[in-house]
Amino acid sequence: MKTGMRLVLLTAAVLAVICAALCIGPTQLLDLPKLLALLGGSERTPELERAALVLWELRLPRVLLAAAAGVNLALGGLLLQTIFRNPLAEPYLLGLSSGGALGAVAALAAGATATVWPALAGSLAVAAVVLLLCRRRIASDLPSLLLAGVALGALAQAFTTAIILRFDPGAMRSILFWLMGSFARCGWNEVWMLVPAALVGCVLVVLLHRPLDILALGSESAHHLGVRVRALQLGGIALAAILAALTVAACGTLGFIGLMAPHIARRIVGAGHAATAPAAALVGAGLTVVSDLAARSILAGTELPVGVVTGALGCVFFLALLLRKR
Amino acid sequence: MKSPALSASDLRAGYGAADVLRGIAFDLHAGEVIGVVGPNGCGKSTLLRALTGLLPLRSGSVRFGHRDLSEIAPRERARLCAVQPQTEAPVFDFDVRRFVLLGRHALRPLLGWAATADITAVHSALACAHLENLAGRSVRELSAGEWQRALLARALAQETPVLLLDEPVAHLDPGHRHEVHVLLRDLARSQNKAILCVSHDLNLAAEFSDRLMVMQNGTIRALGTPEDVLRDDLLQEVFDCDSLRSGKNPFSGKTGVFFAS
Repeated sequence: MKTGMRLVLLTAAVLAVICAALCIGPTQLLDLPKLLALLGGSERTPELERAALVLWELRLPRVLLAAAAGVNLALGGLLLQTIFRNPLAEPYLLGLSSGGALGAVAALAAGATATVWPALAGSLAVAAVVLLLCRRRIASDLPSLLLAGVALGALAQAFTTAIILRFDPGAMRSILFWLMGSFARCGWNEVWMLVPAALVGCVLVVLLHRPLDILALGSESAHHLGVRVRALQLGGIALAAILAALTVAACGTLGFIGLMAPHIARRIVGAGHAATAPAAALVGAGLTVVSDLAARSILAGTELPVGVVTGALGCVFFLALLLRKR
Repeated sequence: MKSPALSASDLRAGYGAADVLRGIAFDLHAGEVIGVVGPNGCGKSTLLRALTGLLPLRSGSVRFGHRDLSEIAPRERARLCAVQPQTEAPVFDFDVRRFVLLGRHALRPLLGWAATADITAVHSALACAHLENLAGRSVRELSAGEWQRALLARALAQETPVLLLDEPVAHLDPGHRHEVHVLLRDLARSQNKAILCVSHDLNLAAEFSDRLMVMQNGTIRALGTPEDVLRDDLLQEVFDCDSLRSGKNPFSGKTGVFFAS
């Protein structure tokens, strides 16, 4: 099957998942006449008014946000895996998500309500420190860079935990729930932040598809083939950090999406970034929306953090990958 | 007089505090093949890194034609000089055709499909490297020798006037070694390419190179025709091996290197 057709089928599958996530929940919207009435704007009964409220103010922003978060993490993972030539690299592993979380939690502790800029500062600070630690070596010593990211990520997590312990129990529970990934309290404001970022990220990665393909061959080959290696590496890490920070600020940390989505995308459309980038974005969106749907459906009357579901999914995915290889 | 395709003058470069290359100076002319030989660690691969800007120069200069390397933008450099690197194993899956097509990056706009010229260049490069039958195979499934030929094909697809090759036949069987060297000599003769080829095979280098560059401890110990350069005393000293002798290949009549015992 041609790559274009695979992308079309993948898009259809993700749209189907999004539609399912919009309809399924405590207030069922699966009733077709009800949906048509909601969309058509016909005479509203109180029941329809309630359904409209659920759809436009709760489900739609939540599902769009989940999809955008998945796209951002998938693109971040794809960029980092290409730059580090390591299929295990992702924003969380490199400490970018942990840096964002630390920034956001520190801001909350200081009494701030907006977490976007502190999260951005945290992620970019981790990226900057990692790059400074490995200054002049970025093109030749990528494993060191990855290890520095892991170490700084662990440090950021330790500081985050220390700060969280200073909150009162109620706030602590709320912050922990958000940190483990949650779309429960998100609204249109977060959507307007994350969706444009996801679109810009997609466009940038697709525009740079060939230099990224070449960078995936190795920095030396990329140099010989005319790619500005250092600029592409720095720009890619910065873009991954920004996407991760915005996602953390909106909905906490979601592990494994940045790892799984590029892997699955490569299996579907191959390794070329022109197709892998949109495919990874679609897979990331689909996985996150499904995870969120599972998180709010598995236990009746209560909601799990989405990070718990993505963690379980990631574990199953990699064990399956390992068993298949053997 | 026409300027050399590539010239190096008084190069000094290295890693950390140590200079690996010192006082390197030579000209590589269009239509010429220079074979670079020397013992392990003498700076052969470092020389290629310095010539392509991968390793910053501490002093001296590299010029492609009339232009200094420092003035040449990366994409333009890739249109002037192609390199077959020694290492860099593939991590992600690309089929061989797509991999070779990446060699055309500097000749293509950032977006858009490959043009006819690109497809033709890729076909020609695949044919030269005898990879037509493997064009659809993943580069991760290639043997070491096939991967080396794929790297060569990528460099050929760049269609540059200068080719720098780092041990292009190290993993190849004798038949393919011979074919690659014949191909390089033909490219120099028919397409006027300037070729610098690092090799550990003294006989193949002597057989197919117009000049040999013998390196020792980061310097050029000798540079000249194989007949002038391959002397017993020089070989024994540079390679620290008393058994090395130079002599005539009974079939081609060219100078070769043999073990006396």
